[in-house]
Amino acid sequence: MKQFVPQRVRVEKDVIVRIARVLSGKGTISVSVNQEVKPSDIIGTSNISSGFRILNLATLLGVNPKDVGKYLKRDLGQRIYKGELLAYKPGGIFGGKKAVIAPTDGLLDFLNPQSGEMKMTVLPKKSDLPAGVFGIIESIDQEKGKVTIIAQASRIYGMFGSGKLRDGILEVLGKRESLVDNSFISPKSEGHILLSGSLIYKNAISESISCGVNGIITGGINAKDYRAMAGGRLSFPKKLENDIGISVVVTEGFGSIPMGLDIDDFLLQYNNRFVSIDGNNRIIDLPSYEESSMARVRSTKLPPIQDGVDLEQINKITELQPGAYVRVVGNSYAGEQGKVLAIDESLTLLPSGLSSMLSTIETKRRKIKVPVVNLEAIEYI
Amino acid sequence: MAKLSGLFDSFDNLDQIDVNSLITWLKPAPQAVQVENYLANKILYPQTIPMTEEDMKIDLAILREVLRLNGPKNTNPANALLRDNTLLNLTLRKILIPERFLQFVPNLVSLTWAFVDGLLLTRRKEDKFQDLWTIVTVGDMDEIVGSVILPQFSSRNGEMDLDVQGKVYKIRTGALMVVPCGKDRCEVGYKIKNGQVLGKAESALELYGGKLGIMVDGRLV
Repeated sequence: MKQFVPQRVRVEKDVIVRIARVLSGKGTISVSVNQEVKPSDIIGTSNISSGFRILNLATLLGVNPKDVGKYLKRDLGQRIYKGELLAYKPGGIFGGKKAVIAPTDGLLDFLNPQSGEMKMTVLPKKSDLPAGVFGIIESIDQEKGKVTIIAQASRIYGMFGSGKLRDGILEVLGKRESLVDNSFISPKSEGHILLSGSLIYKNAISESISCGVNGIITGGINAKDYRAMAGGRLSFPKKLENDIGISVVVTEGFGSIPMGLDIDDFLLQYNNRFVSIDGNNRIIDLPSYEESSMARVRSTKLPPIQDGVDLEQINKITELQPGAYVRVVGNSYAGEQGKVLAIDESLTLLPSGLSSMLSTIETKRRKIKVPVVNLEAIEYI
Repeated sequence: MAKLSGLFDSFDNLDQIDVNSLITWLKPAPQAVQVENYLANKILYPQTIPMTEEDMKIDLAILREVLRLNGPKNTNPANALLRDNTLLNLTLRKILIPERFLQFVPNLVSLTWAFVDGLLLTRRKEDKFQDLWTIVTVGDMDEIVGSVILPQFSSRNGEMDLDVQGKVYKIRTGALMVVPCGKDRCEVGYKIKNGQVLGKAESALELYGGKLGIMVDGRLV
């Protein structure tokens, strides 16, 4: 008897896509349409208006809030520049030394002795926008400060996400099984896209926003935290776009689920490279870092429009056959991936009381038997 | 887009289930975060089935809560044809179980129990006719599978003697029992201490039987 499962594209390799680059404030675009660019080319300049940052020095130094003042290396009211020492606690019997570096240029405004939080007014600064990719400028919107570049990229489709299109340098925080809390996040990650592990906790997301992180890619997230980001509803696909100041793409599901090997292996190749993520459309674009990709970009006269996600295209139903590569989406063995070795010919009574057709899957570590309905075929493009 | 079906396809408000209410159906109570993630994954992957007994219990708890959310809201008989619900016919006192639900919960007793919990726990006690319900599986062919008796015990010392086809069963306050009766019509007699059914402490009835038989839910609500 034929068995059918949903089929989903998770990774699309080397496709021609439109990459949007946006100035972070009011400014000017310095390239023209049809111009070829390489990653280091500056395509625009903007002035980032001042705002403020809150740093919890008590937490960062591991001291009582009322003692924070003792460890400050700058007086209140003084200017401080990014990378300079802001506070320092020497090591002792009960703990190691701790240093807090200024995450950005600013003015030390106010220290709250009750909470140990320092308010730092950020100085207006000039910010250059690099192209980040090898590509050809397709269009320019001076008013919005947006440049669209046609480039070759690999595209990853997550399960769901939140937040507008953002980009940055990919920073790997841990292994794909890691549970990521706020201790993994530091001001050094400002502007980066963080590759988390199997679960990211709420305090890590809050800390990331506070540190100016642009995005997070994670295997799993707690439903309560996602609900808070997505306007209180859990509906897929999402009906409304949300943004809480950071973009998040979840690749597997809810709870602690190690990132699938197909996506994780691919993302690791992009450690310390430029990537962009669109949380609301749950897309991660990994632009090619090889100049040779320009030949294909040039020869693609009318690149297929890849903006937005065509769910009809990436979600299909297919017949399950031995040899297919699948991913477990049920609660038991959630997120495990492997090859179908066999599909039973008859029903098996499960401990849940249900009778189901089982399939034998060979993962990297073991062989498992899983109901066919709890599988999803992975399609490679 | 083609779609594989699941138990909760008929409901589009699974995400409005209160996790704390869900946990009350589960013993021992799991952590809220675990249940909330399970529910969210069910919304994300609706076609999946539980492999373990524990997961089936969570599915049944979700079913109870989603039935409660989607149960009859309009209690004004003047406005209602079937009193606003496709799962419960208040006029004919029928619990309507979609036949396809049995693909996902094959145990008819567990499924019926979930429907009783989800739809009838907050029933109007003053309406004595709501002490008796007929269970119907609805699909291409509707089938009566049995009846539910909901005795109204007035104390924890209540006891019901139920005579079904000449055999007597004892149901105490708080107990749930399924008495087999495969006939289309089952003759039933009852005598209740500290309670009543249909406003009487003792009477005889003719009830629908079937695959399920007669379910007696003696819980104090």
